[in-house]
Amino acid sequence: MVLKNPKLARVAKGARLELVPLQVLVPVVSTIIALGIGLLIITATGASVVEAIEAFWDGMAGSDFNIGASINRAISLALVGLGFIFASRANLTNVGGEGQIAMGGMLATAAALHGAGGLPLGLAFIVPLAVGTIAGAVWGGLAGFLKAARGTNEVISTLLLSFIALPLVYWSVESFHLLRKPISDVSSLPESAEIPDSTKLPLLFPDNGSPLHIGLLIAAIAVVVVWLVLKHSTLGLRLRAVGLNATASRRAGMRTSFYVILAMTVSGGLGGLGGAIMILGQQFYLTSDFSSGYGFDGLVVGLLSRGSAVGVVIGALLFGFLRSGSINMEISAHVPSAVVLICQGLIVIVIAGSAILTNRKVTR
Amino acid sequence: MALLELSGLTKRFGAFTALDDISLLIERGEVHCLLGENGAGKSTLCNLVFGVHRPDGGTMTLAGEPFDPRGPAEALQRGVVMVHQHFSLVPNMSVAENLMLGRASAVLKPQDIIVRMEQLAAEYGLEIAPEARIDELSVGERQRVEIIKCLLGDPQLLVLDEPTAVLQPDEIDALLAICRQVALRGKSVILVTHKLGEISRVADRTTVLRQGRIIETVGMEGADIRSLVRSMVGRDVQSAGSVLAAAVDIEGKTPAKPTNAAGPVSPGEAVLQISDLVYRDPHGVPRLDGLSLTVGTGEIVGIAGVEGNGQTELGLILAGLAAPSAGAIVVGGTSVAACTPQEITDAGVGIVPEDRHAVACIKELSVAENLFLGAIGKFSRFGLLDKSARRKAAQTMMRDFDVRASSPDVSMASLSGGNQQKAVLARELSLDPLVFLLAAQPTRGLDLGAIEAVYNRIRAARDDGLGVLLISSELEELMAVSDRIAVIYRGKLVGELAAGAFSREAIGAMMSGHAHV
Amino acid sequence: MIDEQMAVFIGSGLRLAVPIIFAATGEMLSERAGVLNLSLDGMMLMSAFTAALASWATGSPLIGVAAGVLVAMAVAAVQAVLSVTLRANQLVVGIGFNILALGSTTFLYREIFGPLSRDPIPGFAQLNLPWLAHIPVIGPALANQTGLAYVSIVMVVVTWLILKYTSFGLAVRAVGEDPRAADKAGISVAKTRYLGVLYAGILAGFGGAFMSVADSNTFTENMTKGAGYLAITAVIFGGWNPWYTLAACLLFGFATALQFLVPALQLDVPVALLLLLPYLLALVAIAGFVGKSRQPSALTIPFERGG
Repeated sequence: MVLKNPKLARVAKGARLELVPLQVLVPVVSTIIALGIGLLIITATGASVVEAIEAFWDGMAGSDFNIGASINRAISLALVGLGFIFASRANLTNVGGEGQIAMGGMLATAAALHGAGGLPLGLAFIVPLAVGTIAGAVWGGLAGFLKAARGTNEVISTLLLSFIALPLVYWSVESFHLLRKPISDVSSLPESAEIPDSTKLPLLFPDNGSPLHIGLLIAAIAVVVVWLVLKHSTLGLRLRAVGLNATASRRAGMRTSFYVILAMTVSGGLGGLGGAIMILGQQFYLTSDFSSGYGFDGLVVGLLSRGSAVGVVIGALLFGFLRSGSINMEISAHVPSAVVLICQGLIVIVIAGSAILTNRKVTR
Repeated sequence: MALLELSGLTKRFGAFTALDDISLLIERGEVHCLLGENGAGKSTLCNLVFGVHRPDGGTMTLAGEPFDPRGPAEALQRGVVMVHQHFSLVPNMSVAENLMLGRASAVLKPQDIIVRMEQLAAEYGLEIAPEARIDELSVGERQRVEIIKCLLGDPQLLVLDEPTAVLQPDEIDALLAICRQVALRGKSVILVTHKLGEISRVADRTTVLRQGRIIETVGMEGADIRSLVRSMVGRDVQSAGSVLAAAVDIEGKTPAKPTNAAGPVSPGEAVLQISDLVYRDPHGVPRLDGLSLTVGTGEIVGIAGVEGNGQTELGLILAGLAAPSAGAIVVGGTSVAACTPQEITDAGVGIVPEDRHAVACIKELSVAENLFLGAIGKFSRFGLLDKSARRKAAQTMMRDFDVRASSPDVSMASLSGGNQQKAVLARELSLDPLVFLLAAQPTRGLDLGAIEAVYNRIRAARDDGLGVLLISSELEELMAVSDRIAVIYRGKLVGELAAGAFSREAIGAMMSGHAHV
Repeated sequence: MIDEQMAVFIGSGLRLAVPIIFAATGEMLSERAGVLNLSLDGMMLMSAFTAALASWATGSPLIGVAAGVLVAMAVAAVQAVLSVTLRANQLVVGIGFNILALGSTTFLYREIFGPLSRDPIPGFAQLNLPWLAHIPVIGPALANQTGLAYVSIVMVVVTWLILKYTSFGLAVRAVGEDPRAADKAGISVAKTRYLGVLYAGILAGFGGAFMSVADSNTFTENMTKGAGYLAITAVIFGGWNPWYTLAACLLFGFATALQFLVPALQLDVPVALLLLLPYLLALVAIAGFVGKSRQPSALTIPFERGG
């Protein structure tokens, strides 16, 4: 649209200013509505709502252990969410968080089991973290490469890459020559052996029994770095320019393919790091479905945040606690945790549907 | 009784009032021209009549009945048809399919359409092959399909929004003749144009719009063209000079004298040398077919031609956005054929591209960000942006180039087209090194004040010793600004005229491939 | 022995292809109109569950299919409101529906049938057409299918006819290619797109219902296992042409069926790798064979009337 004079331009700007609170309001309101519907569903099942909520609260924050576990969950979700907003800065939609977590977790396990355990100076866990990050970066970067080189829609390719990654993890834990633990002990479930203690992430509060680990610090650093890069760096501006108008960016001398691949690589790398932290921080051995649901959770966190790193933190904590609560609710109060999936789906749909409110422009 | 009656029509877009209290009668059997500058509200008025937009106030009456179309479908039903400024044909479908669109019964009956097409061919001389695909047709042929589509349903009112901008001179004649024929059959025609030459040839009456208001409606018998121009521009016409001639295309006037005092400069050494340039599009069709051209320092070379003869492709190749199939391009001794845009910029080439919105700027980014789009790293420390330094530099540039915006931080989209173009010129003319400037359709869609500013910038650049290549579809613009005009036809240059020897007739003939000089 | 296994392989390949054929054929028409339904998988899953539930409750698989199709249509209607009227991001909305479908079917399944139920559900019998059975090698596989399998092929033909010979089909193509031009020719872009999405919903409904009441006669959690995504990829792979899309669906069906054939032939290929084969094929297909030029120009781009 074209406005003819500065005065009108100010009016238009004012109109946008009024809309800014909507950016916050919409995710908050849709989250509340979705959780309300979740409660209604629980009521409809005939389960005791009080009991369900008690179980829910207990699972979320009933003890130091549960709080730590919830935050640990949030760490990985935050990393996947940061990856999502990094890619979306370049107008790319990375919905393949699940696959990137899976690759990161699988290769981090491999590194921890084969070689990294004996390394000194914390390298024992740093090397597996790096390997997991690289694995996720490759998985994400592949989608970026296909986009840049072949014009392949990244939504489809990241989804398909997830469907490819999950059987790969399954394959690695059911093959003895790969990561499956030997049948020497009683059980012979298709899962990897436990990683060496030296490769486990150090705990932040080893004395009070909280499982909270230094992944929290890693995630905090990632939040600050991503925020700086997206909002205040030349790279962030270039990503934004390429995402908004690739032709004009190319004319202005930017290598658009490079930035598309870079955005997806970093995005995938953050997901891979999230997967590695899941294994090294809390799960300690690889199972075929260790990443189950984390990809979608991270995606929803990214969507909820509307591109803001702070929003990612809030969303990740919300879903970290929700997940912990819903698992305990299923165990103690026998309410299926799928209720949380229903809430998540509703949140995504409502937020996407209300974009017309928040993105409204004064059009000519 | 008038066919169409508009009373008190008002249309706003956000805070911007595009049309303000428009009242107008369109009689049966008349060709009624709407005249006005870009942004005067002509297209908006047409879109209200055709139901693309709905008015915020006022009423319309068609043939005595209230008329308030909720969409084009309803307007069509009432016998109102429209030829749009941009073609509204589906490119990968055949002519017959496009004609069947929106009017066929449940099952397609191509035969019926073909019969009707034959009738129209006999009645108006509009002939076209029904099975031809739209994207294989020339611009003139597509225009013909648009008009056939309009006439198929035997309409009452035909609205044409700037239909001649893309046509060759003989095609314009044919179109104007069809307008008269349609009017002779008792139907009405609304013709939007900013070209006075056309108005004096075809209109019964003319309404002048300025800034969303009707200034006057005059019968064309004995009308004073100069006074129409004054109404349209809103100021004394003398001040605009050659700009006016270019903008409104007054036939018969030839103000071709370049305004720099020294007269045509003698060109210095060559800054741009294009030899045997060939470009084939993805379908293998040659769009440039052995084009050779030299531009020297301190001269403006104009490229004239009907749109679609390779100008767009030439612009894209010079900008580094398309790779030539064969041939050489040398700028100041450096070969830049098939180079990246960055390498071309480094060789000292500034580009004002044809499509401002798609290529020159990113409308969501701020003015400052757009001014330094090619030099994002210039204002940074350790990879972090130094926004205050950039802001200062942007303010200086905006002052130097008269880019009017409330602040360097407002989005590019909030600027008028003229100010956007001035910002693009500011960026490209501030490049260092800079030896050559391409300006492709640099005044398209701008108002008179901005057109004048663009011409002055281009002339000043030439006087500073730059070589300038000016691609334009406006003949008067080329004649007013260029030191030399080369004519492009089917991907190669077919002739060249030196300043002082410019003539509409000669250039027009070469543009349609009829003559060589 | 080998022949018998080939017949089983062909039969299961066809059976696995049928839901994808249904979904992809409807999706192709919707995409030709410019709307991509990433929610296809969710529509199928909801339909599969509803069909199982209705068939189990009434004893009639026919009612099951009808119920499944209705539910998928309802999802499609909401998808259409969001992506056509509210101009929401079609891909994100689609993901949302898939999460919602997974959550609600899993939840209801556990609530109604119990977590580990293996109750058989009344399903369709195979038709066993004798005149088809006589064809060598593929005959028995072709003949031993349920009626719905043949319906899927009929729908491909119907969709092809619609696109080529009806004015609705012409409108669909115009709206997906150049909605502005279609609008100015008097076509309602919104109505055409709504119908396109609903058409995709109906066929996805058939595809989902086929899975539960015609193929496996049971419902399992997340039983589509990404078949909807495969269908979307088949549309891309098939270049938005009904026949090539059909071919792509068959390819994916047979690639999936390999996981039954290979162990039966006692070949030493890990089943896990066979699981990812169709997705890998799909990825290679969309990355390698499809130029962007053939895609409907307005695909995923909401239409807003402007000057």
